Amino acid sequence: MAVQTTELKPSVPSSPLLDFWRVFSRNRMALVGLVMLVAIFVGAVFASQLAPYDVTTSENITINDIYNPPSSTHWLGTDDAGKDVLSNFFFGARVSLIVGFFAAFISVVIGGVLGIVAGFYGGRVENLLMRFTDIMLVIPDLPLMVVIVALTKPSLLNIIFVIGLLGWTTTSRIVRSQTLAVKSRKFVLRARAIGAGNSHIIRHHILPLVMPLLVVNAILVISLAILDESTLSFLGLGDPTALSWGQMLNFAFGRGAMSAGAWWALVVPGFGIVWVVLSLTLLGHGLEQVLNPRLETHHLTPGRPVIRSEIPWRQETKKGEAPILLDVRDLSINYITEGKPPARAVEKVSFQLHEGELMGLVGESGCGKTTLMLALLRLLPAAGQIVGGGAYFTDKELTAMSEAEIADVRWKGISIIFQGAMNALNPVRTVSDQIAEAIIKHSPPIPRSQLDARVVELLDLVGIAAQHKDHYPHQYSGGMRQRAMIAMALACNPQVVIADEPTTALDVMIQAQILELLDNLRRKLGLSIIFVTHDLGVVAEMCDSVLVMYGGVTAEYGDVDTIYNAACHPYTQELLKAFPDLSNPEKRLASIPGYPPRLEALPAGCRFAPRCPAAFARCASEQPALHSLGEDHFASCHLVEASP
Amino acid sequence: MKRQKYLLNKVAWSFFTILFVLVLNFLLFRVLPGDPARAGVRDPRMKQEAIEAIRIRFGLDKQVINCFESLNPIKVGSCTVNPFDTQFFIYVRNLLQGDMGISFHSNRPVAEILVERLGNTVLLIGAGQILAIMLGVAFGIIAAWKARTAIDYAALLSSLLAWSLPTFWLGIILLFWGSGHGLPIGGKATPGTSSLPFLQQWGDIARHMLLPTITYTIVYMGEYMLIMRSSLLDVLAEDYILTAKAKGLSTFQILKDHALKNAMLPLVTVIAINLGFTVAGALQIEAVFSWPGLGGAIYEAVVRRDFPVLQGAFLLIAVSVIIANLIADLTYSYLDPRVQSE
Repeated sequence: MAVQTTELKPSVPSSPLLDFWRVFSRNRMALVGLVMLVAIFVGAVFASQLAPYDVTTSENITINDIYNPPSSTHWLGTDDAGKDVLSNFFFGARVSLIVGFFAAFISVVIGGVLGIVAGFYGGRVENLLMRFTDIMLVIPDLPLMVVIVALTKPSLLNIIFVIGLLGWTTTSRIVRSQTLAVKSRKFVLRARAIGAGNSHIIRHHILPLVMPLLVVNAILVISLAILDESTLSFLGLGDPTALSWGQMLNFAFGRGAMSAGAWWALVVPGFGIVWVVLSLTLLGHGLEQVLNPRLETHHLTPGRPVIRSEIPWRQETKKGEAPILLDVRDLSINYITEGKPPARAVEKVSFQLHEGELMGLVGESGCGKTTLMLALLRLLPAAGQIVGGGAYFTDKELTAMSEAEIADVRWKGISIIFQGAMNALNPVRTVSDQIAEAIIKHSPPIPRSQLDARVVELLDLVGIAAQHKDHYPHQYSGGMRQRAMIAMALACNPQVVIADEPTTALDVMIQAQILELLDNLRRKLGLSIIFVTHDLGVVAEMCDSVLVMYGGVTAEYGDVDTIYNAACHPYTQELLKAFPDLSNPEKRLASIPGYPPRLEALPAGCRFAPRCPAAFARCASEQPALHSLGEDHFASCHLVEASP
Repeated sequence: MKRQKYLLNKVAWSFFTILFVLVLNFLLFRVLPGDPARAGVRDPRMKQEAIEAIRIRFGLDKQVINCFESLNPIKVGSCTVNPFDTQFFIYVRNLLQGDMGISFHSNRPVAEILVERLGNTVLLIGAGQILAIMLGVAFGIIAAWKARTAIDYAALLSSLLAWSLPTFWLGIILLFWGSGHGLPIGGKATPGTSSLPFLQQWGDIARHMLLPTITYTIVYMGEYMLIMRSSLLDVLAEDYILTAKAKGLSTFQILKDHALKNAMLPLVTVIAINLGFTVAGALQIEAVFSWPGLGGAIYEAVVRRDFPVLQGAFLLIAVSVIIANLIADLTYSYLDPRVQSE
C-alpha cells in the first residue's frame, strides 16, 4: 500500500509546487495550522529528550508526589501516580498522533479505493458500494467502536483498526463524486478514445485530480481519528500500556483529580488534544480555501461607493421627439480586484432612451453590456465600481441616489428581465407569489383578491393561463419561465424595461415567440425597452436605435437604419456579415476570427485592433475617440476621423 | 405518485438498514472473541457446571444460525437442527416481543432499563440540539451576511475552535468550574426531590441539565454555524437574489423571503447525517455528567462488562438514529417542492 501511494503522486514539475506554496503561505489560517502541527510533531518525536522526567519507572515516587500543583520542579504538576504531567504530555502526543495517522491512513485508503471504483465503474458496482456506504454512514460510529473494542482486546493495534475500518464513509462519498466529475472531462474521454486502459486512466488522469480533495479530507479524518481515540481511552477502552492524552484524562477523571482540585491533570492533556485537532482543522480549512478558492461576496455584499464626477446635464429633447427617459453620460465602470490593476469593464458610454423607444444593445459576451445595465440599477457585483459619468432617469441622477431612493426606482421605474429565467426565479416559491411580491413592495396596500386579479391579468398578458399561476418555476417549460419573468417585470408598470438577453438558452421557435411578445407589449403598453443581445439580426426588425459595444467601449451608436445601411465601424460591419441575409441566401456567413479582449489585458490602442481587418499602425498604439458622424450617429474608429 | 414512490423507497431503505443493524448487532456479540457468558462471569474459580448453566440460561448452547452444512450441496439434508431453534431466530423473536435479555449487573430486563433511559437521552439531545441549531443558524446568517468582515472571521475561528474541543473534555472543564459554583455534579435530579411539587422538581432537573446542555450546545453550534454560513453564501450568490434585489426589496426582506428557506434546506440533511455524530456527543456528555441516558448506559455497561445492556443499547441507538434520519428525509421532501416531481 505504501508503494502504491508513492507511485500515485502526479509527476508535478517544481514550479506548480512553488506556486502552490506561494498561495499557501499567504493563507494565514493554513500557515498557523501547519506551524502548530509541526511544533507538536517535534514534541512527540523528541519526547525522550524534552521530557524532564522518566515516566517509565515508579522509583523515587512517594505518596507525597500525587497531584502536586505546578511548581519549579514539576512545571505542570504531577498526576494520580505521582508522575510528571509535562513528561506524560510529550509521550502522550506520540500515542495520539500514531493512532490518529495510522487509523486515518486505513480509512483514506479504503474510502479512496471504494470511491474511485464506484465513481469510475458506475452502474451496479457503484449502486452497491454507495448503498453500503449509506448504511455505514447512518450507523452511529462511536457506539459501534465502543461495542467492538469492548468485545475485543483494547490494544493500540485494535483501536487503530477499529477507528480506521469505520472512518472511511465521508472519504468514499467525496472521492466518488469527484471521480464522477473528472471522468467525463474531455482529456479522460480522449485518453479512452485512443485506447488507454482503465488502470492507466485512473493512475494518470483521475488520481491527480482527486488527490487534492483527498488530502484535505485526510486531514479531517486524522483529526476525527485523534478525537475518537481520546474518547475511547477516556471511556476506559484505551490500551492501558500506552498512555495517550485520552488515557491521562481517564485516569485523572476516574482517580479523584476533580475532588483533589488538580485542574492541571485535567487541563493539560485536553489542551494537547485541542492543540492537535485545531491545528489540523486550521490546516484543512486553509488548504480548502487555497485549492478551491471561492468568492465570498454575493448580491448582498455592499457595493463600492460611486466615484462622482461633474457631468453636464444636457437636456436634448428636440421638438417633435418623445421626451428622454434615460440619459446616460460617459458612464465608466471598473472591476476592482485586490493586488491587480482595475479592469476597465465599461468606459465612457453614453446613450439616450426616449419614451416608447426600443434600443438594441449589441455586442459579444463579455463586452460590458450586462455590467452597464446592472450599473443603471446600481446592482453591480461587489467588485464593480462606477468610476465616472452618470445617468439621469427622467430628472433624477441614478448614481447619486441613496440605497432607499434607488430601491424605489427599481422595478417601478426601471425593471429588468434577466437571462436564464430558471435561475432568476426562486425555485421554492410559486410564480404568482414572486410576482405579487413586487406589487406589494411598490404599491399602496391592496386587498388580496385585487392582487390575485392583477397577477392573473399579468400572466394573461404574456399568455400563461391562470391555472398555472400557483406552480413552482421548475414545473414550467423554459419559454413559460421567460414569459413569467416578463410578466414579473411588468408588474409595477415600469417606464423602462431592460431585457438582458431574454432569449438565450431558448430554442429558435420559442425565441421568436418571446421577441414577438415583447414587441407587442411595447406597442400595447407604450414601454421603453433596452434590448441586450449578442445577435444583431435579432433586433433588426424591432429596434429604433442600436448601440454596438466592443470591449467596454462604444463602437458605434445610431438609429437602426444608419447602423444597418451605413455602418462605419469595422466591428459593426463584421457583425452584419455574420448574420444571414434573407434576400441573398447564397451569401457566405462570415465569422470574426479571434476573441474579444480580456478586461484585465486590454490592448493599448483600439480594443478591436487585434481582430480588425482594416487595422493600421496607429490602431495599435492610440485609442480612437468617439466621433460624431452627423446627427445621432457616433463611431469610435480612426478610419472615421480620416474621412470627412 | 412520484412522491409516493420516493417516500416508499426511503422507508424500504430504512427498513433494510435496520435489518442490517440487527444482523450486525447479533454477529458482533457472537463472532468477536469473548464468549459473553465467560466474559460476563470471568471468575476463574467458577466451575464448569456453573458456566454450562449460564450458557443454557442465555441460550448459548444452541446453534448460532441454521447449521452451515445446509449451504453445502453435498450435505443437504444432513442438517438436523430446527431453524426455529437457533440463536439468531430466538434473538429476533425475542426482540419482536420486546425482550432484550436480562442485565448481568442488575438482573432487570434490559428493555425496561433502556426505555427509561431513552427518555432522558431524548430530553438532553433535544434541548442541546434545539439550542445549537438556533444559535448556529443565527450566527451563520450574520457571518454570511457580513462575509469577509471581522465579525465573519471571529465567528469562523470560534466555530473551528469549538469543533476541535473533545466533547468529554469540555464537559469535564465545565463540571470542574460548575462544581465550584454550587451546580450539581451529576445525575438528573437531587435524590429525594421526586415528591416535590411539579415546578420545583423540574427546576431541580433544569439545574442538573444546565452544564450538559451548555457542553452539547458549544460543541455542535459551531458546525451548524459553518454549514449555515456556507449554504447561505451559496444562495446569496444565486441569480434569484439579484432578481429580488432588482425588484427593490430590502436586505431584510431578501434574507427573510428569498434566502433563508433555500439555505435551510441543506441544513436539514446535515442535521440528519449528523444524528449519528450527535449520539457520540451524548455518549460522552452522559458519561461525564452521569446523566442516566442511553449513552450513560453504554458507558456503565462497558465498565461493568454488562453485555446484554451494551447490545440492547447499541441496537436502540442505531435504530433511533435510522428512524430519525428517515423523518429528516421525509421532512426535507415536504419542505422542498422540487423533490415532489423528481
